[in-house]
Amino acid sequence: MNKHRLNQLFERARNEPAPLPPEDFAADVLRAIRREPRAAAPEAFSMLDQLNLLFPRIALAAATVIVLCVVVDWGLTAAGMPGLGDGLSQISAQWLLTPDESLL
Amino acid sequence: MNDDAELLARIRNGATDDFAGIVRRHQARVFSILHRYERDTHKVEDLAQETFVKAWRALDQFDGRAPFEHWLSKITVRVALDHLRREKRRQNEIGLPELGEDALDWLRSDGEKNELDARSAAELLDLAMRELSPLDRVVITMQEMEGRSVKEIGEATGASGVAVRVRALRARGKLRRALEKLMKDENEQTQAEPTV
Repeated sequence: MNKHRLNQLFERARNEPAPLPPEDFAADVLRAIRREPRAAAPEAFSMLDQLNLLFPRIALAAATVIVLCVVVDWGLTAAGMPGLGDGLSQISAQWLLTPDESLL
Repeated sequence: MNDDAELLARIRNGATDDFAGIVRRHQARVFSILHRYERDTHKVEDLAQETFVKAWRALDQFDGRAPFEHWLSKITVRVALDHLRREKRRQNEIGLPELGEDALDWLRSDGEKNELDARSAAELLDLAMRELSPLDRVVITMQEMEGRSVKEIGEATGASGVAVRVRALRARGKLRRALEKLMKDENEQTQAEPTV
């Protein structure tokens, strides 16, 4: 089967007339669509959908903050100053985890 | 085209019956596209109805940037593609008995016989195209039978331009092999028949 013969087949087949629609075809379609309501407009996004949509941005922002903290910590350590970790330990020791003296 | 716009505006305002006007204007084209993928007239009618119902359901998504005819053609091609996928699952092996005598003569002649009517050519192609995947069939049909551009085929099928070109090339190769197989089978069958 060479290229010419295949093209010849396409050319001949192209001339085949398509079947004609029946006269009452449009009425049949109308009957069918009366049973099929049009697609409703999409519902408003729920809170969960909005969070899902925002998730990539939130993840990117979180990753940026983490990278920024690591860089600052590395910079402070290199400059001989106490790093972010030290500062956080100090804060937690002084403010967050202060022993409740009334219990002692 | 303006008539389409007017009809569509009225339909959007609730004049459901005016959709019959849209159907009448485009039904011949829809039937013509679907007939390339399905030879049974009753099935073509069912698929055409499915096409118009889908168009009706999605009418709010038609933004009017492209002609309505193009938008409807895309829906028609998608309906045809879904149909081919459904049919593929329950299709039999490629076989000769479905072919008419004219098509068989053309196959036997191996290039010498040139007379082949349009119907026989379409039957022969339809049989050979069963060897293709549904998407390959849509691509080659749109390209060779409807003369659509790569861009148009890509838009209708959701494939990239490169993918369309690759699929068309591959489909042509598969078609040629399928037709060669048909030729071989036919020649073997002719030789096996007892001479009187």
